[in-house]
This record gives sequence, C-alpha cells and structure tokens, in this order.
Amino acid sequence: MSDQYDVTFIEQDERSAKFLVRGITPAFANGIRRAMIADVPTLSVDTVRVIENSSVMFDEQIALRLGLIPLTTPDDYRPEETVTLAIDVEGPATAYSGDLVSSDAKVQPAEEHVPIIDLKEGQRLELEADAELGYGKDHAKHQGGVAVGYRHLQRVELGDERGEFAEDDPEIIRGVIEDAGASETSRAAGDGGELVETASFDNDLGNRYPDRNVSVEDVPNAFVFDVETDGSMSVDDLVLSAVESLRTRADELEDAVQL
Amino acid sequence: MMVPVRCFTCGSVVGEHWEEFKQRAREGDEDPAEVLDELGVERACCRRMLVSHKDLVDIVSPYQ
Repeated sequence: MSDQYDVTFIEQDERSAKFLVRGITPAFANGIRRAMIADVPTLSVDTVRVIENSSVMFDEQIALRLGLIPLTTPDDYRPEETVTLAIDVEGPATAYSGDLVSSDAKVQPAEEHVPIIDLKEGQRLELEADAELGYGKDHAKHQGGVAVGYRHLQRVELGDERGEFAEDDPEIIRGVIEDAGASETSRAAGDGGELVETASFDNDLGNRYPDRNVSVEDVPNAFVFDVETDGSMSVDDLVLSAVESLRTRADELEDAVQL
Repeated sequence: MMVPVRCFTCGSVVGEHWEEFKQRAREGDEDPAEVLDELGVERACCRRMLVSHKDLVDIVSPYQ
C-alpha cells in the first residue's frame, strides 16, 4: 500500500464532512471508521455529586442526561484527567446545559440549549460533576463521531441509446458517483470524471440520463466517508486523531512482535 | 419525561432542538416535517425522537 492517499473534500463543515479517499483498502477504510467511533477520546461527565435535587427526576437520571451532553475536548487532555463542572438552578426555571459552569474555560458544553430538567416552583438542582476523558469503546457517551460511515465510490459509464419502447425502470443509486460520461475532456485528462452526489438528481440515474443505458460499478479502493461529530471536536480533529490512533497501535504492535 | 438528550440510534444531539420544535410545530401550526428540515434534523432516527416525544414533567410534578 502506498504512503500517499488522495483526499478530496466534497462537503466540509465544522461538524460534518463528506470526503473521498483514494488508494486505501476496504480493511483500512473500516479501520478508520471504527477508530473514529471507538478510539478517539472525548470528555464526558462521569461522576456526579448531588448537593440538592428536588426535581421530578432521580439523581441517576439527571446524571445520565449530564453524561450525554457533549463537552468540547481540547487535545491536551490525557486519559483519566478530570474537569469539574457545577450547576445551580432554582425553579421555576429549566436547567440547560448552558448553565453548567466549568473549571476549565476550554471545556464547555458544545450545545447550550439542551434541557436537563424542568424545575417547578420550590424545586432546585445543585450539583458538581466530574468530566473524565474516556473512549467510545467503553461508553457511548464518549463517542466523538456520530453516524460515521463510508461507501464505495461508484463510476457511471454511459452506454448506447435506450430503445424507444424500453422499460422505464428507475436506476436508484446512493452516495457519490464519478461521472465518466459527463464530459469527454475530463476522461481524456485521465481522471475518472466529475464527482456528483446522487441526491442532486434524486438518487435516480434515470433522471440524469433519461435516454441512455448506464452501467454502474464500484471504483476499487476509493471510499466516500460521511462523518459527523457531536460537537466535542471538529471533524478535522476527529479524523486526524482517529488515523493517529491507528498509527500508534500499529507501531505498538510492530514493537511488540519485534525479535 | 424530559426530551432525550441524544438520538437513541445514531447518538447525535437532538435535545437542543426540542423547545423550538415544540413551539413551532406542536403549539404553532407549522408542518413538523418542514420545521425538522429547517432545524437540520435529517435522519429518520433523529426525527422520530422529537416527533414522538411528550413532556411529562408538568403531569408528574403535582404528585411529588
């Protein structure tokens, strides 16, 4: 396998991205996906010290909700390091994730408007919570990547004209296609063709090429990743730390089996 | 009771959209599908979290 991968971004945002990687094996693509879900550590509330909870929910339920709130995770934290967050809200009011006060300014709730508990007159929620750096493989609350997946890049080749009385069946495909038929110039230039998201023609190739026969095949070793994060880090950080964790573990294995 | 913080299936944070969704689609008369599209809640798994939710705090609180 080569050391250079060809990466093309199709969509890029702070919290979600779609990108094409060429030159990786299916096993490596799946390794990256799994690393993004399970092996990139994020901070999440783990231990809660309740001072007063007179709300309608039990302490444990509140603690679960706090754990699920994504916290921004700076990259200088080590596993088992903790940050303390405190909350004190008195009813009638709703306690939001934004009411959490953190001991480290860099660690903040990624979303401010997640309702934790609705407090009525005379009810109060006061507690301290310790957030811990943990891995997605230990608890889903530490998963930085949300709905991470990949698909083969598919190449569409145009065939001959469709017969006048041919059946008008839809040709449904999803993901991203490499459209070799779209322009002769791009094919001459040697690249596979224009990258088109299937959503742009309603996932039906019949809409894009109404009167042509088309053939669709997977492009070997080219994968389109679809990555979203829960807000604890940017997509760039998530993907890079996932790849880094793969590399670290590969190095560890190499060291371990050396004679 | 309270709206779930995350989607059960995919884990994306949906709780933050609840109050706007409730105000516009439940109490207001907007089409829930359009509100969800505007809020950026795309997947069916996340959409059902909000569509099928009912706040129970008001119902339970008198019996504390």
